[in-house]
Amino acid sequence: MSEDPESPHKMNSFYAFFHRVEASAVMTFLGVVLLFSSAIGVTLIAPRYVDPTWTEPSSIYQVQMYEVADPNTYISSSMTGGTDILYLHHIQDGYTLLAFPETEVFRIVAPPELEKYITRYDDPILKLTSRLLLLRKPKGGGTSFDFDAAAAAQELLLKLRSEDQHLKSSQTTQASNDKKTETDKKIEYDIYELYVPEGSEAFSISDTGGILEEWVDSNFTIIDEQLKQSYHASAGVIYVNNPKEFRVSVTSLGDKTVWDIDHNGEKVQSVEQLRGAPFGFRSRQELIKYGERIYAREGCWYCHTDQTRTLVQDVVLNGSESFPAPPSSPNEYIYQEVTFPGTRRIGPDISRVGVKKPSRDWHKAHFWSPKTSSRGSIMPSFRHFFDADPRGTGKQVSGVPNHEFEAIFQYMMTKGTRITPPTQAWWLGKDPVQTIEIIEGRKK
Amino acid sequence: MVKYEDGPVKWMVYPSIFFMVLGMIYGVYNSFNTFIFPDYFSGEYIHFGRVRPVHVAQVLFLWLLSANIGLFYFLVQRLCGVRLWSVRLAKWSCGLWWFSLIIATFSLHFGTNYGWEYDELPMWVWWIPVKPLWTLSWLLVVINIFATIANRRHEKMYVSLWYTMGTMVWATIVLFIGGYTFEFLPGGISRVNASFFYIHNLVGLIITPMGLAIAYYFLPKLADTPIYSHRLSMIGFWSIAFVYAWIGTHHIIHGPVSQWLQTTSIVFSIWLFIPVWTVVHNIFYTLKPQWNKYSQSVPIRFIIMGTLFYLITCVQGPLMALRNINEITSKTDWIIGHSHISIYATFTFFAIAGIYYVMPLIVNRPLWSERLASWHFSLNMFGSVFFLLSLWIGGFLQGVQWSNWATGSSYADFHNNLSLVSFLQTISDMYFWWLMRAIGGTIILVANILFIVNIYNTVLLKPAPQEVLA
Repeated sequence: MSEDPESPHKMNSFYAFFHRVEASAVMTFLGVVLLFSSAIGVTLIAPRYVDPTWTEPSSIYQVQMYEVADPNTYISSSMTGGTDILYLHHIQDGYTLLAFPETEVFRIVAPPELEKYITRYDDPILKLTSRLLLLRKPKGGGTSFDFDAAAAAQELLLKLRSEDQHLKSSQTTQASNDKKTETDKKIEYDIYELYVPEGSEAFSISDTGGILEEWVDSNFTIIDEQLKQSYHASAGVIYVNNPKEFRVSVTSLGDKTVWDIDHNGEKVQSVEQLRGAPFGFRSRQELIKYGERIYAREGCWYCHTDQTRTLVQDVVLNGSESFPAPPSSPNEYIYQEVTFPGTRRIGPDISRVGVKKPSRDWHKAHFWSPKTSSRGSIMPSFRHFFDADPRGTGKQVSGVPNHEFEAIFQYMMTKGTRITPPTQAWWLGKDPVQTIEIIEGRKK
Repeated sequence: MVKYEDGPVKWMVYPSIFFMVLGMIYGVYNSFNTFIFPDYFSGEYIHFGRVRPVHVAQVLFLWLLSANIGLFYFLVQRLCGVRLWSVRLAKWSCGLWWFSLIIATFSLHFGTNYGWEYDELPMWVWWIPVKPLWTLSWLLVVINIFATIANRRHEKMYVSLWYTMGTMVWATIVLFIGGYTFEFLPGGISRVNASFFYIHNLVGLIITPMGLAIAYYFLPKLADTPIYSHRLSMIGFWSIAFVYAWIGTHHIIHGPVSQWLQTTSIVFSIWLFIPVWTVVHNIFYTLKPQWNKYSQSVPIRFIIMGTLFYLITCVQGPLMALRNINEITSKTDWIIGHSHISIYATFTFFAIAGIYYVMPLIVNRPLWSERLASWHFSLNMFGSVFFLLSLWIGGFLQGVQWSNWATGSSYADFHNNLSLVSFLQTISDMYFWWLMRAIGGTIILVANILFIVNIYNTVLLKPAPQEVLA
């Protein structure tokens, strides 16, 4: 480390550089490079080939949620400046699976060639099809001109009523004193007509609430001539239940165009129309991706971890009243661009938030003013997720959530809700890893 | 006598000192506006989640990495006995460095966060490819340093040169992995794993070897004494090379990562005791014959106390990787304390010592005030201890509170524990420790404002004639 100036001539050289390094040092250096690359090989490259959970989905439900449901679920910005929100299914012929099950009060009439698609009230097997069919209030003269739906519906109603009457009268003979009010009460039947709409795609209002989707994995059959999509062959499928066409009326109020649901209004023709003004819908897939971006951008992940660790404290913290949350598994994250396991927890863990806090209203209030919503919280408020103009980013303090709120909300709702199908959900006590048995049976 | 080129040293070191203080102002702002008066100043661009990455990027890249590169420009020339290979190249790389890094850092306020820890800097800001420009600038530094070493006149390579060359190679690989490879990995845990590799090695294979190169060079210089053992320092160097690349996964112990990978990282974490022991032993024994110099020289104090903090860091690190200790410390404020003791109390102390040593030489006049420097050290020490202890104690207590949820034998017991002490309660209970932390942080900030005043005056004030060096 001396600084004594030696001969001032400049040794040229690239060669001198290696020449001056002793052979042992070169060997050691090569050794270190070898060590370093073996470290990268073992810790960075090998795991995903060794451990299938790093790349394989956690369930077929997870796959279908991300790949089938999300791109085809469209979510409105709030209609007419209000706080309500609408979820639509984008139904495509030959792709989306539809089911038309009856309930006690919900009945369906159909021309004879469509009869087979209806799951009658007493039928235990759910019938699905990827043929584009929709329900509507019975009309006189459908697409098949020899079928009069209105008449058929009337006929069905009379038949149901007479059956009820029959049932009632048999009951009244048994308990004759108990009459008047009961016998006068008629069951309100909802009767719809199954028909073949024009075109190859349609939109229908979803009543699933947007967090889980309709799912069937037992006692179902798909009535298609041939397999239309590979996912139709899965052991369970996501489907759309009793779709009715989404129709709207658009009106101009001064320079403002507003729209509302109207069963007699215009049908929405295409995704492009739905995305454009004045509707401004976005697919749930886009919103989830954007939500992930917001989660990154706002630095949510500096305070909220996104992992239920394999620790009792974590499975309890994220658990429900009666069941612990299963620890996070690598495959929960495989559909994310960025994953935020986090290193610090100053806010609650979010890995099970879709189950713990599914309320959109709760999140709305919480983002607006976290300290009011949760006593003791140090979370900043996120009022830029709200404005008067649902599409813009204005600064008006009016508390109407905009698409940034919708995106972050949709992103959070994927957390913990997609590990297994709803029929096998951990919050029903059907935890795949049996967390409760493990934590109650652990060594003291 | 070789005339060394000190321009590049100045171009890197002067702005970096400014960003150290600005970065600390950001830190103090956060400690009050998030933890003491939560969200007092509220809004899209200044809430905690947007401000924290700017604080981190400033102290990590705009301050520490930049200052270290400046000090490398200084020591590599001296150790090789030749001038810097190309001043023009250094000029270009400095220009690109500050241009890209400043834009990238402050764009984080406006929502450009990439989403990976310590790796927040965006690829693009508007039409400016800030990350590629920054990488290019780094590569120019690498070329310049290696070419200088290739031209060296002193045949024997001192350990600082080994560390320098190691840094050049490792940093290039680590920055490349962190900056450009995630998109090519499968989504999910593969990327998380790569990210933790990057996080750990940013500190372990960039900041650590840089800091040690600086400590190993400047301590013997300052104390005017040879290093205690060159061989020991080489053992430290190679063991760092051997160990660090393996241990990234220990940031996600108990997390959603394969158990065998966690175990691997824990085993290699324990190996870390070797490099830290060699460094601490070596530095302390170098000064041992003349301990009196500790009280005479401020930079020596910084290096010795920095080494002591390094010892604490590297004892903490492997222990925190153990599964049972990790259960308590992980995800608490202990972690924040741990990252500050390494980045701040160890490597920032080393860099400050280096700057105190080089300033009089590169501006050719004495330090403006030794007394102020002494205050700088004392306040820094006092503030650090306050700051670190409050985070460790608070974090530990919080970890114990969390682990208490697991007492009992049935799920009903566990759930009852949780309803007795809610998560939010454990956050509220941190208030006192966060207040202590904020006070400690403020003391540190004041100390470094003294530092910047001292350096500013050293550079710009006209020295008294009798003090001009011959």
